[in-house]
Amino acid sequence: MNKKDSPYFHAIQILEDNCTGCTACVRVCPTEAIRVRDRKADIDPYRCVDCGNCMDVCEFHAIIPSSDPLDIIHNFKYKVVIISSSFFGQFTEDISYAVAKQAVLELGFDEVAEEAMVTDFMISIIRDYIRENRDKRPILGSNCPAVVRLIQVKYPSLLPNLLHQEAPMSILTRYLREKIAKEHKLLDEEIGIFLIVPCVAHVTAVHQPEGAYKHLQDGAFSTGMIYGRVREILKDIQNHPMDIDTYPQGLTWALSGVQADLVDTDDIRALSVNGVENVMDILSRIEDHYLDQYDYVVLRTCTNGCVGGCLNVENPFVAMSRIKKMSKEGTNNEIHVEELQELYAQGEFTVTPLAPRPIMELDKDIKKAIQKMKKINEFLTMLPGLNCSACGSPSCYALAEDIVLGKASIDDCLVLRRGNPDEDE
Amino acid sequence: MPEYRFVAEGFEDAVRKFEEQKPEAEVKTQFVIPEKDFNTAGKGSSELKNLLKRLGVDSVVLRRIAVASYEAEINVAAHSKGGIMYSTVYDDLIHVRFEDEGPGIANIEQAMTPGYSTADDLVRELGFGAGLGLPNIKKNSDAMRLVSAAGSCTKLEFLIYFAKIS
Repeated sequence: MNKKDSPYFHAIQILEDNCTGCTACVRVCPTEAIRVRDRKADIDPYRCVDCGNCMDVCEFHAIIPSSDPLDIIHNFKYKVVIISSSFFGQFTEDISYAVAKQAVLELGFDEVAEEAMVTDFMISIIRDYIRENRDKRPILGSNCPAVVRLIQVKYPSLLPNLLHQEAPMSILTRYLREKIAKEHKLLDEEIGIFLIVPCVAHVTAVHQPEGAYKHLQDGAFSTGMIYGRVREILKDIQNHPMDIDTYPQGLTWALSGVQADLVDTDDIRALSVNGVENVMDILSRIEDHYLDQYDYVVLRTCTNGCVGGCLNVENPFVAMSRIKKMSKEGTNNEIHVEELQELYAQGEFTVTPLAPRPIMELDKDIKKAIQKMKKINEFLTMLPGLNCSACGSPSCYALAEDIVLGKASIDDCLVLRRGNPDEDE
Repeated sequence: MPEYRFVAEGFEDAVRKFEEQKPEAEVKTQFVIPEKDFNTAGKGSSELKNLLKRLGVDSVVLRRIAVASYEAEINVAAHSKGGIMYSTVYDDLIHVRFEDEGPGIANIEQAMTPGYSTADDLVRELGFGAGLGLPNIKKNSDAMRLVSAAGSCTKLEFLIYFAKIS
């Protein structure tokens, strides 16, 4: 589907040799981006929001994530890794947070930083933003790249409600770029900043950030891949631990519910939503102005938040429980927020207004769109209404739409081709 | 039967023309709203919203239609013995009509007053019944008509034009 012309990057790949054309992915895609044609799945890059549902459901290892290989770090003089807050929830409790963090550093980085370092600062930015934008209710959290893209494609009327500030890992990237360039007298292109991310949407966001004014990261590594590498060297490190800063309270950023609780205060009422179906339901209600009593909504397409990301190794509930335990037992190391505050005051963390990526319009001209809708309704009455997906479209309605848009034919309906069983009687 | 009529400023001619000409509808849908079924109430307006997105209706206008139809749908579920929502799409506007099975509105003027509500405890427990439904529909539509009397069916209809109000 016009892949070559598509302006959009996606971190999800289809291995055609493995695809059996079973249509499991077609049925779970929240934006109806997947079709099976000639027994192979195909993802429409305009519709895909990188939620990862299709990868999770594929039994044939035919839909796989793409993330960057670790050796790209050698293209840079000074290598920095920023670890997403869900990462430390992946390890069993016999492996300490500090040891796991040291192991990441020893994979070849000059410096290791964490999303968890700046989450307190982020909460103050979010509260400022809400108070300055009281005319837009509710403000929608923009940290989950899949949610941002979902709003662009399906709920464009809500784009003005998005929090137009960079997410914590990007804030940290801007800060580190400035600091390292100064301290080590390096050029921007000599500094490589990489993220360890829990999901494909974050890989996509690194390769194609939405609304970024400036150079951010140079690559994104999968939590699962780094976890494997770290496991190999853990034993060695356990015997030679070094003194390393940790931020256990900041790790709760990976839990959508806790994040909402942290933003919630006397004059700000926050709601937390996770799971892509719930997110869509809530976005639709927000469109109807039925959740205007909230000032802020944390939205995450994965179960429980980023701990549910498809690149993680641990179950989202177990990871959540571990992070909660860590945050209760330890306290954050201090970080110097003055420099962050300075950059914030300079507007360094604002993002450009996000543009819609409308996918639903049948035609630019409403008259033609209405005519197409009439034809869709005509085809719909001819189709069996089983929504079996055997044609390769997610529902009979979707097939009718595909036919009218010239992407399928009524002969794709296997049920019609076999003849109507009622007529045989 | 008592009637409440409202036409937004600037839309008088357009609405009169529409009512006189009774143009042929392009796309029609209908949706059954069962009595006190708050699990599905809202589904009709949600489907209507998806239809309008497919037609490429401007997002600001879309939200006004969504609010008006959702409020009206909840009204039918909360206050009546059930009813039907009929949506008719034209080139330049949408007409949405709700017809229920009664028991009707005793005092229409009162029902149009913001804050006035006859909602029962069940409805209030579910977070509805603030008495803002009808005024909200009026606020979001370009023309509206409500016909009802105690003991009879209620008919509510509204028009919203797709072109942005300049």
